Amino acid sequence: MISLPLSVKVVFSIPTYILIAAAVAIPFWILFNAFDQLIFFDPIWIFYLPEDAITGFILTTIVTILIGMLVSMNIYVIRHSKLKISRGSLFSGSSLSIISGVCSSCSSVGFLLISTFGSIGIIASNLLTIYQIPLRIISAAILFFALYYIHKRIVQSCVMDFSANNMKTDQKYPEKSDI
Amino acid sequence: MIVNILSALVVMTAFVFGTLLLFSHADSSFEYKMLVMAQTAESIGSSSFTLSNLIEQGSPYIGNLSAPITIVDFSDFQCHLCARHVKNTEPLINETYIQTGQVALVFKHLPNRGFDSMGAHIAAQCANDQGKFWQFYKLLYENQQAIDSGWVSKDNLKKFASQIPGLEKEQFNTCFDSQTYKESIDNDVILAHSQGFFDTPSFIVVDSTDGSDPEIIRGAQPFPAFQSVIEKKLDELKK
Repeated sequence: MISLPLSVKVVFSIPTYILIAAAVAIPFWILFNAFDQLIFFDPIWIFYLPEDAITGFILTTIVTILIGMLVSMNIYVIRHSKLKISRGSLFSGSSLSIISGVCSSCSSVGFLLISTFGSIGIIASNLLTIYQIPLRIISAAILFFALYYIHKRIVQSCVMDFSANNMKTDQKYPEKSDI
Repeated sequence: MIVNILSALVVMTAFVFGTLLLFSHADSSFEYKMLVMAQTAESIGSSSFTLSNLIEQGSPYIGNLSAPITIVDFSDFQCHLCARHVKNTEPLINETYIQTGQVALVFKHLPNRGFDSMGAHIAAQCANDQGKFWQFYKLLYENQQAIDSGWVSKDNLKKFASQIPGLEKEQFNTCFDSQTYKESIDNDVILAHSQGFFDTPSFIVVDSTDGSDPEIIRGAQPFPAFQSVIEKKLDELKK
């Protein structure tokens, strides 16, 4: 049986962090799918998943879930800063997630570039269209890396080293006779 | 700490909706410029979209000439979302409304997806000269590949044309090589821009007789979106 990583269990055992993750992931999911023309708001509200869009949709969903998880886990790290975790993790994790999120949306936003940037827009749009799926895979990979990074930070802070050489204390564990 | 969390959420939400706003604004300001240009050049009224006018302009169409509703489709043969529409939605529109004589479909050229698009559209219009537009149209969408990858090079377009039964090759080649329909396609692009259409596919659904009451459908929307607009119009026409 596959068990969830400890960091995920720790963070998402608190309902607030599930809510934060959802609050971040859902708008991104709507945004990316609107750019991909899978969600429409006019003339009717409708979600539509044609065969040719399934791969892109799965990748988009993975990316948005990862963004939500990362932001939520970063907030957890900030809130528990007394654990002496570097706040740099926020920037490494969140900035990576946002950059890769933007990267992912670019592949769809590319369609809008043409009208704004003319010939250069056509070239940019073509590249983004052709490499849409690889771009999303790269986005997901960056996010997994960021997630691993934040996972390590959270887990490391919980590890206690009991080896005698590292016990820097002058206090002794009380003997039975001392009590 | 709560302030931190709220700030993070506000930033994320602002990012998402800011992106939407930015692009909608960029698009609309550009549309405005193009609208002014088009209006300065020539006033284009709703009469441009009467079925008879569209046919007079040489636009390819399918359906009954007395159909009360016309869908004008602005598409690019290199656009993969247009191919999605042709594969998934158009057959349902055809079966439900075109074959029953309620709707006519008119094609307008909007080649904006790549440098090779114009050639594909000129070739399609040349096929229309011989009454073979829809066969050529289907063939191109079925064989669509990556934008500007050479799949609609001059040679390939001639090969596609040669696959259509009954199409006179010499006549097609002469029409295509002389770029007979370039100006006509440019006019379609101006017409599209005058309606604020820059993305493909874009559709305008109008009353066939006077081109009035236009309803715009943007993007490769599924059949229920078209159905809602068409049914609404049919109900209005019955009243």
